[in-house]
Amino acid sequence: MQAIEFEKVNFSYEEEGTNQNADGVFEFASAFSLRELNFSVQEGEFVAVLGHNGSGKSTLARLTNGLLSPKSGKITVFGMDASDAKNLFEIRKNVGIVFQNPDNQTVASIVEDDVAFGPENIGVPREEIGKRIEFALKAVGMEDYRYSTTTRLSGGQKQRIAIAGVLALKPRVMILDESTAMLDPRGRKEVMDVVLRLNKEENITVLLITHFPEEALLADRAVVMHQGKIVMEGKPREVLSREKELVACSLALPKPLKISRSLQNNGVALSDCLDERSLCTQILDKVEKGAYKAVEKRTNGTEIEPTGSIVCENLSFTYNPSSPFATHALNGVSLTINAGEFFGIIGHTGSGKSTFVQHLNALIKLPTAEKKYKPKKGKKKLELAPTVLSVGGFDLADKNTDFRALRKKVGMVFQYPEYQLFAETVFEDVAFGLKNFSENLSEEEIERAVREAIQTVGLDYETVKNRSPFELSGGQRRRVAVAGVIVTKPEILVLDEPAAGLDPLGKEEMMSLLHRIHDEWCKTVVIVSHDMDEIAENCTGVAVFSEGKILASGTPQSLFSDTEITQKAGLDLPFTAKALLLLKENGVDISCGLKMQDFIQAVTAFAKGGKDHA
Amino acid sequence: MREVSFGQYYPANSFVHKCDPRLKLLFLIAYIVAIFMAKNFYALGACALTFLVIATVSGVPIGKLLKSVKAVLFLLAFTSLLNLFFHSGQTVLLEWGVIRITKEAVYFTVFFAIRLFLLVLTSSVLTLTTTPVSLTDGIESLLSPLKWIKFPVHELALIMSIALRFIPILTDETGRIMNAQKARGADFETGGLVKRVKAIVPILIPLLISAFRRADELGDAMDARCYSGSKKRTKYKKLTFTWRDLIATLWITALITGVVLLKIYTPALL
Repeated sequence: MQAIEFEKVNFSYEEEGTNQNADGVFEFASAFSLRELNFSVQEGEFVAVLGHNGSGKSTLARLTNGLLSPKSGKITVFGMDASDAKNLFEIRKNVGIVFQNPDNQTVASIVEDDVAFGPENIGVPREEIGKRIEFALKAVGMEDYRYSTTTRLSGGQKQRIAIAGVLALKPRVMILDESTAMLDPRGRKEVMDVVLRLNKEENITVLLITHFPEEALLADRAVVMHQGKIVMEGKPREVLSREKELVACSLALPKPLKISRSLQNNGVALSDCLDERSLCTQILDKVEKGAYKAVEKRTNGTEIEPTGSIVCENLSFTYNPSSPFATHALNGVSLTINAGEFFGIIGHTGSGKSTFVQHLNALIKLPTAEKKYKPKKGKKKLELAPTVLSVGGFDLADKNTDFRALRKKVGMVFQYPEYQLFAETVFEDVAFGLKNFSENLSEEEIERAVREAIQTVGLDYETVKNRSPFELSGGQRRRVAVAGVIVTKPEILVLDEPAAGLDPLGKEEMMSLLHRIHDEWCKTVVIVSHDMDEIAENCTGVAVFSEGKILASGTPQSLFSDTEITQKAGLDLPFTAKALLLLKENGVDISCGLKMQDFIQAVTAFAKGGKDHA
Repeated sequence: MREVSFGQYYPANSFVHKCDPRLKLLFLIAYIVAIFMAKNFYALGACALTFLVIATVSGVPIGKLLKSVKAVLFLLAFTSLLNLFFHSGQTVLLEWGVIRITKEAVYFTVFFAIRLFLLVLTSSVLTLTTTPVSLTDGIESLLSPLKWIKFPVHELALIMSIALRFIPILTDETGRIMNAQKARGADFETGGLVKRVKAIVPILIPLLISAFRRADELGDAMDARCYSGSKKRTKYKKLTFTWRDLIATLWITALITGVVLLKIYTPALL
C-alpha cells in the first residue's frame, strides 16, 4: 500500500524578499523550499533521505505530518489528503516524527509520563495507555528506565525515549529528522538498531533523514534532495557511488568508496567497496592468487619539536564534592601536548574530556593551596602528588596567575558555538573578545583584526560585517563564532567538537579551516571529537580518555593499532585503521599513517610492488 | 548542578511518600489552620506530636529537615527578640534600664518560635516527600473545579510541568554560555552596577534565543504527537485515594477536632 505520496508539491517560506544575494552567502530564505516535488513511499519501506543542509529534507518531513502545508500540489498519507484539516489528527496518529535535539522533545520529567503524553492526547483509555507505555519502552529497550528522570539520561537514551513517545501512538510511519545528528557514535548505534528492528519486526515504514552515508546504506532505498527537488533515487549502494552527481549536490562519497576509487585511479584492480571488509577481502584475494607479495614497511609521521605547550600532571576534579551527587570527572590525568601539534582528544561522553578541556583556560580553576582537600580528622592524611598544570607558559596551580592574559592566549571554542552569538552585527560579535582583552585598541586596529579573522574563517568581510549573525546559515554562524575566538590570535586554540551537527561537506570545510588556522594563526590546536576518521585524518597526536583517566596517548597510528587499548576504551576505529587491522589479521602487514592519502599510497605501493615481483 | 535533581525531593518509599499529593496539600493547609488555632501549649503539643509522627514515618533524615529551618533562622531570631522585649505582660522577670522582660513575653516568644518551626518543618516534609511532578498533578486536580468557570487548569498544569522539566536544561545552558563568554574575556565579577548589568547582555540574549528555539521545537514535537489542548484528552496518572490517605485524613480530622476542643475547654495562653 502507498503510505506517503507527494504530487507536484510546492512549498516555500514566505520571506522571499531577502533572497537576493547572488554570491550565495545568504541561503537562509531560499532554503527549505520544495519545487514540484514528486515522491512516494510504500508501506513497510525503509527510505533514507540525503541532502546538504537547506536542501528541503526537513520540510519534506514536516509536510508529511501536517506541521506545514504545501503552497500547491497534493500530499496523500494512507489515502488521506493532508491539506484537509479534518484528516490532520488521523495523519499525525499514523505518522510520527522524531526530531534532532534530544532535549527539546520531552514534555514530562519522568520517562513514563512523557511516553504517555501522545496516547493521552488522542484519548486512549487509561489501562490501554499503561500497556502502550510498556510496549513502547520495550521496543526501544528502555523498560528499565520507566520511572527515571528524563534529564539524567544520555543523548542516545533520550532519543530512544522520543522514539518510544512516538511509538506509543502506534504509528505506521516513523520519520527521523536527523535524529542521530547530535549523538555520539554509541548513541547513534543505539538509535539505528532500534529503527532497524522496528522496520523489520513491527513493519513500520521508516523515513530516515540523515547526513551519515553509513546510516543511509541500511535503507531499502535512498533519495537525494537538492534545492527542493529529488535529484537521485535508487538502491543506497548505487546512489552513494555516483560521485559526480553527489558532488553536484554538495555531498561527498562515503570514505571507503573514496579510497577504493583513488586506488582504482592509481591502477590497483579493485571494485567499489563500501566497507573495510570488502576492501580487504579483495586485497587478500589477490594475495592468495599470488598477485601481491611484497610487504613494504613504511613509517610515516613528521617530527615535532618537543616543547610542552600544555603540561598537565596529576589533575583530578570532582563535581559536587562531599555530596551524594559527587562525581569524579578527572582522576589523576597527566598529559603533555607539544607546541605545534594538532592534537585530538577522544573518549566516550562522560569520560572527562570536556572537564579536562575547561581546565585549560581556567574556566575550572585548580583549588589553591589552602583550599586543597583537607583530610578529615582521624583519617590518615592522603599523600597526593602535586598537581601541575601549565598552559602556554602560565602556571595554573598558582592563584596569582593573570587569568585574563591566559584566556587571551588560549582560545576556547565550545560545542555548538553558534548558540553563543549575541550581538546585533557580525562585526560587533567578533570584536567582543578583542575589546574585552585589549582595552586600548584604536578603531582601525580593531577593524583590521576583525577583518582578518572573518576572512580567515572563509567569509566575505564586506558582505557579512553589518549583518545580524542570526540571518546566517548554521554553518556560517559557526564560522563567525570561531572568528570571535581567533580574533585575539591565541597561541593555543581548543575546540570542543567543532564539526558536530554539520553536514559532511560542512565538516570537511571546518577541518580545512582549522588547518588553515593552525598553519597561520594558532601554533597549537586541540580538538575534542567523537569522529575517529576526523582524528585519524587531521591529528598529529591523540589522547584517549576513559572514566576520568587517560588510557593512552600517542600518534593516531600507534594508538589505533593497539587493539588492547581501543577495545578497553570501547572505541570505534577510523576506517583506515579497521582495514589495516583486518589485513594484518590475515597475514598482510601494511604499516602506514592513518590519513587517507597515506593509506592509498601504501596500498598502491603494496599492490604495485607485488605485481613487479610477480 | 547537572547531577543535582531539581527541587529538594528526597527519594524514598515511605508511607508519606506514597500518600496522594492532593491529600498532602490539603493536610498541610489543615495543619496550618490547626497551628494558628492553637492557643496554648496543649494544642501546640498535639500539633508538634503530629509533626513528629509524620517526620518519623517519612524516613527523611533529620538533617535534611533542619536544613529548611536554616532559611528562617534569621527571621526567627529577629522576631523572637522583638517579642521578648516588647510583648506586654505583668510578671516581671528582669528589669534593667529600658529592658523589661516579663514571664508572658517569654512564653509568647517560645510559643511563637515553636509555631514557626512547625510551620516550616511540616511544609518541607511535603516538598521532601513529593516530586515536583506529582505536586503539579495534585494542584491540577485540586484546581479542577475551576474548569467550570473556564479557568485553563490543564494548560496551567502543563505549563508548570514543562517549566519544571526545562529548569535543569536551561541552568546547564546558562553555565555553558557563561563559560563561553568568559573564555572570550567577559568579566562578570568586577565593576560597578552598570558594568555588571551590561555584562549580562552576552548571556541573556543567547539564552533567550535558545529558549525560544527550544520552545519552538517543543511546540512542533507536541503538535506531532497530536497535542490539541485539553479536549477529549485522557490522563494516565490517576490520583487514587488509598487506605494511607484514609488514615491521614482521620488523623488530621482528629487533630483539628482536638485543637478546637482544647480551645474551648482549656484556658488560652494569650
